[in-house]
Amino acid sequence: MAETYTFDAKDLAEIKKLIEKYPEKQAAVLPVLWYAQDKFGHSDPSVQKLVSETLDVPEAHIRGVVSFYTQYYEKPIGRNVLDVCTCLSCHVSGGYDMLHYLEERLGIKAGETTPDGEFSLQSVECLGACGYAPMLQVTNDKFVNHLTREKIDKLLEDLRAGKEPEFESNPMPQHQKES
Amino acid sequence: MPEIFIDNKRFEYEEPGKVLQFMLDNGLDLPFFCYHPSLSIPANCRQCIVKAGMPVFDREKGTFEVDENGDRVIRFFPKLMTACSLDLADGMVIHTHHTDELVKQAQADNLEFILINHPLDCPICDQAGECPLQILTYKYGPEGSRFEHKKVHKPKAIQLGPRVILDAERCINCTRCVRFTDEVSKTHQLTIISRGDKNYPMTANGQTFDDPYSLNTVDICPVGALTSADFRFRARVWEMNQTPSVDITNGKGSSTWLWTRDNLVLRVTPRFNEAVNDHWMPDAGRLAYRKFNENRVSRPHLRPDDSEQVRTSWNNAQLTVLEEIEKVDADDILIIGSPHASVEDNYSLRAFFSSKGVSKFYFVPHVVPGSGDGFLISDDQAPNTNGVRALEFEEINDKKLIKLIETGKPKLIVILDDDLIGRTSLTMDHLKQSWTVVMATNHSETTRAANLVIPVTTAAEHTASYVNVDGRIQRTVPAKETLYTNRRLNLEMSMGRLDHYGTKFDNWVSDSNRVDCIPAWEFLVRLDADRDTPEWVSSRQILDEIADSHPAFTGVTYERMDDENGIQLKLEQVSEAKTV
Amino acid sequence: MSTDWKSYKPLLVPAIPDLHEIKVYEKNGGYKALKKILSDKKKWNPANVINEVKTANIRGRGGAGFNAGLKWSFMPEPDGKPRYLACNGDESEPGTFKDRKIFEFNPHQFIEGAIIAAYAMQIEVIYVYIRGEYRPFVQKLQKAIDQAYDNGYLGKKIQGSDFSVEMYTHMGAGAYICGEESSLMESLEGKRGYPRVKPPFPAQRGLWGRPTTINNIETLANVPLVINNGAEWYLSIGPSTHPGPVLYGISGHVNRPGVYEYPAGMNIMTLINEVAGGVRGGKKLKALIPGGSSTPPLRADMLDGVSMDSDSLRQAGSMMGTAGMVVLDEDTDMVEVIWRISYFYDHESCGQCTPCREGTGWLQKTLRKIMEGNGEMRDLDILLAICHGMEGRTICALADAAAWPVRYSIERFRDEFEKKCKKTVYAVA
Repeated sequence: MAETYTFDAKDLAEIKKLIEKYPEKQAAVLPVLWYAQDKFGHSDPSVQKLVSETLDVPEAHIRGVVSFYTQYYEKPIGRNVLDVCTCLSCHVSGGYDMLHYLEERLGIKAGETTPDGEFSLQSVECLGACGYAPMLQVTNDKFVNHLTREKIDKLLEDLRAGKEPEFESNPMPQHQKES
Repeated sequence: MPEIFIDNKRFEYEEPGKVLQFMLDNGLDLPFFCYHPSLSIPANCRQCIVKAGMPVFDREKGTFEVDENGDRVIRFFPKLMTACSLDLADGMVIHTHHTDELVKQAQADNLEFILINHPLDCPICDQAGECPLQILTYKYGPEGSRFEHKKVHKPKAIQLGPRVILDAERCINCTRCVRFTDEVSKTHQLTIISRGDKNYPMTANGQTFDDPYSLNTVDICPVGALTSADFRFRARVWEMNQTPSVDITNGKGSSTWLWTRDNLVLRVTPRFNEAVNDHWMPDAGRLAYRKFNENRVSRPHLRPDDSEQVRTSWNNAQLTVLEEIEKVDADDILIIGSPHASVEDNYSLRAFFSSKGVSKFYFVPHVVPGSGDGFLISDDQAPNTNGVRALEFEEINDKKLIKLIETGKPKLIVILDDDLIGRTSLTMDHLKQSWTVVMATNHSETTRAANLVIPVTTAAEHTASYVNVDGRIQRTVPAKETLYTNRRLNLEMSMGRLDHYGTKFDNWVSDSNRVDCIPAWEFLVRLDADRDTPEWVSSRQILDEIADSHPAFTGVTYERMDDENGIQLKLEQVSEAKTV
Repeated sequence: MSTDWKSYKPLLVPAIPDLHEIKVYEKNGGYKALKKILSDKKKWNPANVINEVKTANIRGRGGAGFNAGLKWSFMPEPDGKPRYLACNGDESEPGTFKDRKIFEFNPHQFIEGAIIAAYAMQIEVIYVYIRGEYRPFVQKLQKAIDQAYDNGYLGKKIQGSDFSVEMYTHMGAGAYICGEESSLMESLEGKRGYPRVKPPFPAQRGLWGRPTTINNIETLANVPLVINNGAEWYLSIGPSTHPGPVLYGISGHVNRPGVYEYPAGMNIMTLINEVAGGVRGGKKLKALIPGGSSTPPLRADMLDGVSMDSDSLRQAGSMMGTAGMVVLDEDTDMVEVIWRISYFYDHESCGQCTPCREGTGWLQKTLRKIMEGNGEMRDLDILLAICHGMEGRTICALADAAAWPVRYSIERFRDEFEKKCKKTVYAVA
């Protein structure tokens, strides 16, 4: 039995603001899906239906959009999603080693979720942190750069304890030299 | 006039347009999949690729630059262009596969790409034989494939909706189906999901593709990805005959093709008619194939006394009707024409009973208000309401009909093909007090209540005309033999391969599907036994007579209907709203 | 040019602490260019602003390198109906990670540039499209936009003038193709990111069918520099055919990877060896992917005297792209690298056009076969034939981007590919 999801008055007020940014309601599909996913943790069919009804956009269209963009989760997923970049710069800098280490640590393969629902692991395409490879992103949010086994151990420990990673600033090396 | 040079041949064009459509209009060949003249142009299949260029204009001289041979200097676009999306331009030069090796190679490359993940299961695919991918591959494709990897696997035999089955592996992502639901039927029920070579069309989760026009996506699917749940695995297209006809399930009268094999109609598909239905038709009209095949009245049925109906001979049926007519005064006869029957049948009904002294002729329009959609489904459930009206039958509603029966107490009632009880205009009891003749194509509650049932031909078996809700008259051509017609003798009927080459020993060739029925007009002619020669020997003669005698039909002939895809009549009452 | 790089002071992302705060930005000359225009609208009428930017020849920093001012001039005359500026912060070409520096460290310079662009093209609504993976950076930019609104640089009647413009951020959700300008517009309209057929071009029919210009973030960050200092000054930075400061993103096998700002036209070996501290572990350089994954890789011996500008790179046999340089050392398995790039394009092809949808997968599968040691010599010919069938045959350039790395690495590293293919030994009966 699929859960039913709803937006409350506060949500609808926020969504109204999102819609007002655009001349047409349909343009708010991506932002409203983001909003829904932040609230419900995924964009499964019942969430898609809710977004479709809220925006008065055909449900099939919403499904097409959700399945096109990789960051929307088409079904419920682990509480922490670890997106390990294995593309180009990360690939040549040991991205797959980090992915395999995580697979080993979590006892799952990329694309799977741990039985306790705590972690999902994915191998993803370039995240735009090529200079700080290898790296991963935690649940569509913070980047964790310059991965090492130790750093991964620490990260898993923190996440298990409910501690989200901090934003890591990567200043331009030029600045550091000068300052 | 602006000009365009295609493969070194000069063409003139008047209206702005796209190169591919212009080439198709001029009978030139170019392969394509995603393009459809009635849908938007995504240019995504990349198959209609051509080399295109424009002459170089020298502004100073005010003329086109010419080379040493005096030919125009052509600046070609750096990339090959898709002809479907390329606007015609004055002086444009196009090279297709006929005159350019790169274009030829590009078309073959493209087909090789399309085929790498295509299952190549033509032997078990319903589309085989009428498959653009199959046809174009033979004509333009590479001789083999260099792809030696595992193909991408996708869902197969998915019931997308009650009438449409999806094989996602066969899909080539032309998006015609998605565009159809977005742009034509506007139900927006389909989308492409996922991306890259994992793409395929799908509905929203848990939604069923129940679009009332869903089967059009099967027609326009250029491969066997979408097939008809009803028709799949029924027949190979090359075994069937294709006959032009008209949708008789609804007042719009979409132009159709009837596909028959061994005298069964196996499917109904839309026939292009710009004035009526473009390339489309409603799903409901396609179900008419069952009406043509199933539950048919075959041989006259007579009810002696109050017992069950029994089959009887045509001779006995004729004599019985004549006897019943003799028994009563003309004023005691109630004649009910039918919007479900053709112009010719209604006319001959009227003509025959006029000669017997009957002066009043009625019909009950079959309209379900609100059931139409303003597109190809009308509130009017019958194909010929306007035709009966134009023949000056008096239009009455259910109440009036019941009143006529209850107060007039007719002794003889003649109903032309119309299930008045089934559609709840009447009840069984209303017919009990009279002797009732029903001329019908199919068994129904009305035929069960009748004293005599005369089996008549359906639109799939006769040549006859119907006037749609907009006042357009169109005609049918017999597609299916009755016991008394013969494909080889009736020159209007199409002959398929099986008819030419099939034998009685082919397991799908039989006589069992020929119904013992005749056109209603023919039965009425037979009733007129006093004449030395029959009044009409064909429906064509009837129509000619109508055209001569009824101003609304002036100039109408079968030939003109064929040539012009139907003829718009000038009727007083044509709008659907007035039929309510 | 390469002689004085050591004394170069960054202009796009200057080394000023807290520059992302509007007060700090203003104190350091921020929003001066905008005020300059708005205070003398006669001198700085829209046509003149476009001319100045056109003269400065700011080459688009998103990869195509098209003159930004010239692009602006394609916008039709205003007709009273909406027209849009879409700022492209999708930045998803592997090897590229520069715009995030602007979002994080100097967002106001981009905002100012975008406002000036809107003024020049008489646009009243700006959308900033940023890839969904950059959520933390979207938040940083949003904060800066809010500050700009609070200080009267965005919104109605900017700085008391009659010029008004709104700026909204729009977050993608994971699709490389949305960096392609027409696909970006589809995504902004809430659809699947399918590139549009051109013509019509965005300046004719863009967002919601209205004239639209799409500019890269870094490109727009250059605009205030041009207005403040003049086109002539701008042209003096780097080669005049490709002038101005460039954010070089250097990654891969170097000692000090990161984003560096220097004039365009920097010598490649200087960038690798001096700026980025040389190849990691003292190894030899094998190859360079100069401007993001789609630009053809160059062998180390092809890099002598080559500089990071479009002309020099074209002569060398590659492209400037996004200046996202991926450095590969001598131990790199080129087949593996090219397979991984192919895998990326296979994953990111939107699936609209046949050659790309099918070709990217075919390339990837064939390269995988070779990488795993099952290749045959004819696979190389097949790869080249696939590339030929993809290049220039699709609506957008993703097919080309997928084909070039394969085509040029087979050409330039053929021995490596052949070695893998020849491993297959068939038993002869």
